Amino acid sequence: MVAGAAAVHAHPMEGSNAGFVQSVDGPAPGPFLYLGAKHMVTGYDHLLFLVGVIFFLSRLKDVVLYVSLFTLGHSLTLLGGVLGGVSVNAYVIDAIIGLSVVYKGFENIGGFERVFKVKPNTKVAVLVFGLFHGLGLATKLQDFMVSENGVVTNILSFNAGVEIGQILALTGVVALLTIWRTRPSYLSYSFATNTALMVGGFLLAGIQMVGFVLFS
Amino acid sequence: MPELPTLPSRRKVLVSTGVALLTAAALLFGAILPAEYGIDPFGTGRLLGLLALGQAQPFGAEGGEYRVDSAELSLYPAEWVEYFYRLDEGSSMVFTWDATGPVTYNFHASPDGAPAGYAESFDAQDSEQGHGTYTAPFTGIHGWYWENVGTEEITLTLTTAGFYTSAEIGRARAAGYKDLTDIRGNPVPRVP
Repeated sequence: MVAGAAAVHAHPMEGSNAGFVQSVDGPAPGPFLYLGAKHMVTGYDHLLFLVGVIFFLSRLKDVVLYVSLFTLGHSLTLLGGVLGGVSVNAYVIDAIIGLSVVYKGFENIGGFERVFKVKPNTKVAVLVFGLFHGLGLATKLQDFMVSENGVVTNILSFNAGVEIGQILALTGVVALLTIWRTRPSYLSYSFATNTALMVGGFLLAGIQMVGFVLFS
Repeated sequence: MPELPTLPSRRKVLVSTGVALLTAAALLFGAILPAEYGIDPFGTGRLLGLLALGQAQPFGAEGGEYRVDSAELSLYPAEWVEYFYRLDEGSSMVFTWDATGPVTYNFHASPDGAPAGYAESFDAQDSEQGHGTYTAPFTGIHGWYWENVGTEEITLTLTTAGFYTSAEIGRARAAGYKDLTDIRGNPVPRVP
């Protein structure tokens, strides 16, 4: 969905091509840091999910806990996915990420209690969906990487960039939600907001499914 | 996990989930598919004039001089050569090349004013041929690196047509290329 892959990017190359590209051979922490942060800030699938996650978290402590679980999840699969060369179909993984947004919106309106009479563990859910989001990131990152030169540095830089981007984006979201929470409209519209979140999630998933049918 | 003060009823949850799904489907099939992919199942794309968005501009005018160039490059095993073009930003060319044996290639470009040795790579593979189009993302020199990765001498035949201002061998590590200057007019360092 989020085509983080720009058509143009510098990437490391191997020995004998050296002549021309030696200066970009190997680790390039700056560009990968930037790409990671950009992917997160401009990645509305990740952002919508995080909005869903922190929607009802009024205490900063909880925000930090849940976001840490999400971070743990996506870092595991991001690092493991790239280092292990795991490549999942980008449309499938992005569709799942879209559905994670739907899940969160549905959970927020009490869907699981009301419809299925169950109450899934929200911490486990955010961790598991973190794993899927990381797999999506790993798939995107492998688009940027052709060479194995400096792969560890580059992947760690990308991951660090993702976290920076996440903090930047969350700061804005938390600030807005905190202000909104003090107003009466917050509760009256929370149901509508989470329904809108589901619309967004269904839309993201649908676009990816169509992409899968058309291009895979 | 904090909860809503009063949990919505089961009916309300189901209705809102259904509404969400239908809204997303309506947007997807009604607007996004027509605009992005030219798929218009309900005719809404035509109605709203969205179909035009999905169509690439079929015609693009370019400045500069049109030229056609061909070259034959011979490489013994492990030898390599670069072939470069000078293109302005937005200028494009059509290319086709065929080698008589396996080569590893890399198409890369260096913007004017970039530090020495800096290049951005757009395509790198092992192949015996390449055909396509290229539109320069910036003004500078753009071209291929080919290396003979087989065990036989090969000949590579390259033909390009487009709006570039020069086409020549960049540098080489190959017996057949001596006393060359590169595309920027500097002597080509012969790598033994």
